Amino acid sequence: MAEKLIGTDIAPPDLHAKITGRAKYAEDFRAPGMVFAKLLLSPMPHARVRDIDASRALAMPGVIDILTADEVPSREGPREAALTNHPRYEGEPILAVAAVDEETAAAAIEAIRVDFEPLPFAIDPLESLRPGSPNAYVEGNQYGQEGWSEYKWTAADFAAIDRGEFPDPECPVEWSKGDVEAAFAESELILEETIVHQSLTHHPMEPRTNMAYWENDRLYAFVSTQSTQATKFALAGALEMDPEDITFVSEYCGGGFGSKISGTTIMQVPALFSRKIGRPVMLRITRYEENYIGRARPGFQSWLRMGFLGNGKCNAIDLIIVQESGPYGASDFNTAGMIADLTYTPGNMRFRGVPVYTNTPPKAAQRGPGGAQIISMMEPILEKAARELGIDRYEIHMLNAPGPDVAFGPRGTTLTSVHAREALELGAEMFDWEAKSALSGQRNGTKVTGIGIGLSPYTAGSRDRDGMMVIRPDGKLYVHQGIGNLGTHSIADTARPAAELLGLSWDDVVIVWGDTSKGLPRSTVQAGSQTTHAHTRANHAAGMDALRKVREVAAATLGGSAAAYRVDNGRVSGPGGSMTFGQVAQRAIAMGGEYDGHVLPEDIHEQTVPAAQMLVGQGLLGIARDNYGGEGSIYSWVAGFAVVELDVETGAVELKEYLGVTDCGTVLHPRSLGAQVLGGSIQGMGMAMTQRWVFDPKWGVPFANRLYTARPPGMLDVPANLRWGSVGIADPQTPVGAKGIGEPPVGAGAAALTCAVADAMGGKCLCRTPLTPDIILAELEGRPLPFGRLDQHVG
Amino acid sequence: MAKIRDMIPAFELLQPTSVEAALDLMDEHREEGWVLAGGLDSFDWFKDRIKRPSAVIDLGGIEELKGIREVANGVEIGAMTSLTAIERDERIRSRFSIVADAAHHVATPQIRNQGTIGGNVSQDTRCWYYRSGWPCYRAGGNTCYAAAPQAMNREHCIMGRSRCVAVNPSDTAPALIAVDAKMIVENSGGPRVFDAEDFFIGPSIDITRMTVMGPRDLLTRIQIPATWADADFYYEKVRDRGSWDFQLVSVAAAFRKSGNTIQEARIAVNGVAPYPVRLEAVERRIVGSTGDEATAQAAGEIAIRGAQALRHNDYKIPMMRNLVRRAVRSVA
Amino acid sequence: MQRLWRSAENPWGQEVLIGVSWDLMWAAVIGAALFLVGHAIWIKTRPAEEHAAPATVPPGIPEKIERHSLASRVFHWTMSVSMLALLVTAFGPVMGWQFPWVQIHWMAGVLLIATVVYHVIHAVGWQDFWSMFKVDVGEGRAHLKHVLSSKAPPPPKAGKYPFDHRLYHHAIVVVTLAAIVTGVLMMVRIDTPFWTRNPYLLGDAAWGVMYVVHGLSGVALILLVAAHIYFAVRPEKRWLTWSMIRGWIDRDDYLEHFDPEKWKVGGSSGASVESGGGRSGALADAAVSAPRED
Repeated sequence: MAEKLIGTDIAPPDLHAKITGRAKYAEDFRAPGMVFAKLLLSPMPHARVRDIDASRALAMPGVIDILTADEVPSREGPREAALTNHPRYEGEPILAVAAVDEETAAAAIEAIRVDFEPLPFAIDPLESLRPGSPNAYVEGNQYGQEGWSEYKWTAADFAAIDRGEFPDPECPVEWSKGDVEAAFAESELILEETIVHQSLTHHPMEPRTNMAYWENDRLYAFVSTQSTQATKFALAGALEMDPEDITFVSEYCGGGFGSKISGTTIMQVPALFSRKIGRPVMLRITRYEENYIGRARPGFQSWLRMGFLGNGKCNAIDLIIVQESGPYGASDFNTAGMIADLTYTPGNMRFRGVPVYTNTPPKAAQRGPGGAQIISMMEPILEKAARELGIDRYEIHMLNAPGPDVAFGPRGTTLTSVHAREALELGAEMFDWEAKSALSGQRNGTKVTGIGIGLSPYTAGSRDRDGMMVIRPDGKLYVHQGIGNLGTHSIADTARPAAELLGLSWDDVVIVWGDTSKGLPRSTVQAGSQTTHAHTRANHAAGMDALRKVREVAAATLGGSAAAYRVDNGRVSGPGGSMTFGQVAQRAIAMGGEYDGHVLPEDIHEQTVPAAQMLVGQGLLGIARDNYGGEGSIYSWVAGFAVVELDVETGAVELKEYLGVTDCGTVLHPRSLGAQVLGGSIQGMGMAMTQRWVFDPKWGVPFANRLYTARPPGMLDVPANLRWGSVGIADPQTPVGAKGIGEPPVGAGAAALTCAVADAMGGKCLCRTPLTPDIILAELEGRPLPFGRLDQHVG
Repeated sequence: MAKIRDMIPAFELLQPTSVEAALDLMDEHREEGWVLAGGLDSFDWFKDRIKRPSAVIDLGGIEELKGIREVANGVEIGAMTSLTAIERDERIRSRFSIVADAAHHVATPQIRNQGTIGGNVSQDTRCWYYRSGWPCYRAGGNTCYAAAPQAMNREHCIMGRSRCVAVNPSDTAPALIAVDAKMIVENSGGPRVFDAEDFFIGPSIDITRMTVMGPRDLLTRIQIPATWADADFYYEKVRDRGSWDFQLVSVAAAFRKSGNTIQEARIAVNGVAPYPVRLEAVERRIVGSTGDEATAQAAGEIAIRGAQALRHNDYKIPMMRNLVRRAVRSVA
Repeated sequence: MQRLWRSAENPWGQEVLIGVSWDLMWAAVIGAALFLVGHAIWIKTRPAEEHAAPATVPPGIPEKIERHSLASRVFHWTMSVSMLALLVTAFGPVMGWQFPWVQIHWMAGVLLIATVVYHVIHAVGWQDFWSMFKVDVGEGRAHLKHVLSSKAPPPPKAGKYPFDHRLYHHAIVVVTLAAIVTGVLMMVRIDTPFWTRNPYLLGDAAWGVMYVVHGLSGVALILLVAAHIYFAVRPEKRWLTWSMIRGWIDRDDYLEHFDPEKWKVGGSSGASVESGGGRSGALADAAVSAPRED
């Protein structure tokens, strides 16, 4: 019997290249005649370019040419162009210069004079809703089918806000379910809070560097992106060209966290510049530039009212979110509303949301977008309710967590499976909740122990993608993966179901990825924690197709019925005898038709067809669309449990212990899963505790642009012995049972800490992030905070 | 000029192998030269193209500047000794543990391997307005952006301001003051010796420098006299992130006791002023006491006398008060 | 040529003025030195001026004639102290003398403003305001001719304030007022016991002008003050310097340097130390009429 692949630790095939430094990231590629480009960034948060004088730069030896906003595609409305003459945040790229080396290009940028006309700007989203305040665009701050308009709250709304009341503004997005007011009337306890969640840059280790060149009319693009096949199509769309005229290479990606889902806007620049000057163009993005153009999680300014019955059940939620959308929009606030309903199952909920354009760097999904923010802010309020009602905090999480009958959001969305309570149960057992919760509030010198739980869901899958693989005459299975390789191991791990179906040992599996010239099927974007679910299904389907064909080839060759043939250890055996997969592949080529890809299934996606045609005649082709179907959304969960010590004389918080327990279906790769659960949790802890982004309101520009000032957490900032667990219950609607895991840990790690800090402070919820020593100490010492309770971008 | 960051412009790299040669080069290049120790401060400036020296004088090849030696009256640390070496040195750990402790609190192991004690005490402030290349007072301009009414100044100073409100970022500086270290500064005219507390200067004296050293001066050695060997020490650094972070406030204290009574004390705080602040009034108050709670409380209050917050850094006042209290309490 | 001002890029990359070039300070220092040396040499080349004292002393002219009341002298010396303090605190640090100068500088500035306010009120209310502000082109021409050629006839004698004094005073008025107006606004940018600073009260461009004007005033004051001190210590002017200390000049100096018709002292035509006097003339301030040191 072949080895069991699912649920075992297998080192991914790229590991050796990564740890030896041989892995080629976008900036490691070179091409003959390649030149370097540098960007000129806007120094102002909102401006118009009146004049560009590049004469001195162009006269410098080694400078080749300049690429301006007039030479890149642009669209109406709040849509981002790769270069612009109308910058809407500090750091927005205005133009690029190419030179024979990077230092010359940099010197050339410094020699260019751009005359900017500064324009009024909006940095704080809530402030920009005040009557008379500046808008992020000259044309207004809302964009709809009618074009631009100005949207402001009324003076009366702000009078209520300034009085500290729960406001009642008109909002562009609104939904409700149940009877919210009646439910609040029945509530035993109503908690009302204002919440500020900060906006944070993504800080992937690898900036969004890329290189491109053309050969005749064919574009060769080397891009740092989370996805591969999907990014190729996004690039083709942006450049309005036939995707099949692009050879797209992205073998490794040093992190994206949602900021490079289907590539990046800036990836257009080398492609267009190279076409203009006829030479390969490398655009290395620096850490500094990444901070501006690298995307950010939208911040929230929010009002929350939560009603609870006497037993601790949340029975009503009224939630208003003002979202900082940056200049080009974001939709976290919508997800936040859905996740609040899903996690606390109030039955009665009103959600109002206002996305506001701002002159801050562009926003995008960041690991658990919307969910991580709202969970980290609402969990301490749930725990506060437990305290006020005299209920155990674990019990209140259990009581409010959804069961299999959940239907959430305005359309009553259902789930394929939900084992949030099981995750909490397993967590409480591993953590020893009973003993640990007794430590709550215990004082040791100046240090107070705080315990917290954070329960965090997030989407974890999608359907209908294509799987594609070839058994070649060398007897190996080549699994072609169109998903990207950003360090999650999913390029390899999602191939396991096919290998297992075909009875192959892992040594006989070759992963083909990262280069569309090798033929990559249509794939999901590597985002939304979709790939594990989507591509175990797609590869399972293609593996089934391959298995059918192997049996049929064997039966056709050796005789007997196909159904009677079995596969194991690279051989297929049945009534007529046995043959190796190599022999099967050769035979499949000879048989042609569907066996070697001359005939393709009719239901595969049109994007897969040209890729499949590259593989025709190379061996036995397993190719299929995921037709397994399913009902409901796919969500995974993480329950985080934390112990912290808060020093009441300094406000410093130290994490002493953390456990993350997940419900993400069947475990594919334990070691990798643990890395995801804990890595994501640590990212969330940074978001809640140390990381920050700060804007100077006078100049409208961000600080904390460097890793040391932005303070994302590292290995030295958490205890070495963080633990994780998994309930390991298969999702019944997917053949392998596995769901994704990338995103839910962020909210869990963040919320476990926001809850634990509140616990250490005797239940006081500061209701803002980050919980740095300054604001904690100010609270403990009874000193006023230097900023308003709804101020954003401070600290 | 359009801003380019993260790209070091070309410079002439000079690698002397003796102090004498280094001083000659410094004389030759004066303001155009830049003395490079571990590079952790320097390369940030170079990368951001804000400081653009034409010649960089790398001290890395000067063996006489490295290492820790026993001298007649204590120990002497070469300015180019790495923070890791200091953190691990048995003589320092056993006799002047506060210095090892302070070195250990610098950033991360990688940075401590590369960073030197000389660089740590000579480094420039981390005020992000200044570090962004804005034309502030310290940069030769006429504005302090960090003290403007809405400025983001939570990490700035609560005392000792004079137009500039930046703070000294060094972790080892207060510890060196606590042990009454002597800083030996040389130039072609010969060596001068400064008490550690006088080595650091505030903006009222010279707004463009953090220390007494001018462009032709080189910190070559730090001597720690035996006077404070084996004293009772206290060091604490509060920061936002557990590693790789500068202090919000740090405190370093040395106490000599006779029985239970404090006979002598030296206390310094950093992160509260543009220079590390020695708290002589606190020292006077606690001498003769046992470090009891009442004394600790009083010491804290004395420490923050005259402290004045900017918009976002009021918290530093209680933080400094509490750290001084803790330092005093540690004796009891 | 070096630029006369210093500029910087503001946080938005816009070029803004931040002050005058410090080269101007050095130019002023060197210029002042050259002027002093030049003047000293020049004066040696001139034939000694013959100022024959009138054979007869007009009646009613006392031995000692009050030239500066105590109030005027207090004003003068207070202003001198504050002005020197301002110059030293302004330029000492630029020249490399490092000390905490900001507080001394603005406090000296406040003192200067107080003395100027006092002086203006005093001059308008109690002194012959117009004796300082009389303008006579012919007089200027005569002075210029005399300076250019020792053969030219000596210019007519002056009233109480000689021509060069008035010229100097006008220059000091303009320069000091410019320094004061800009200096007061600049105080908004530093912390004082009275307010917290606000560097954003004005825009960058307006501040740039403030700094340049303040700097130019300061540089001009180096020249003016240097020249002033130089003349004060010159032997042939020492009698005037003494008058700023003692308050009076003697009759010989009066008759030698002044036109009694323009500066009437003694008798009914003016005021004298002895007689006290009216609203015009030397003794404007009756309250401090007697030079006490006698």
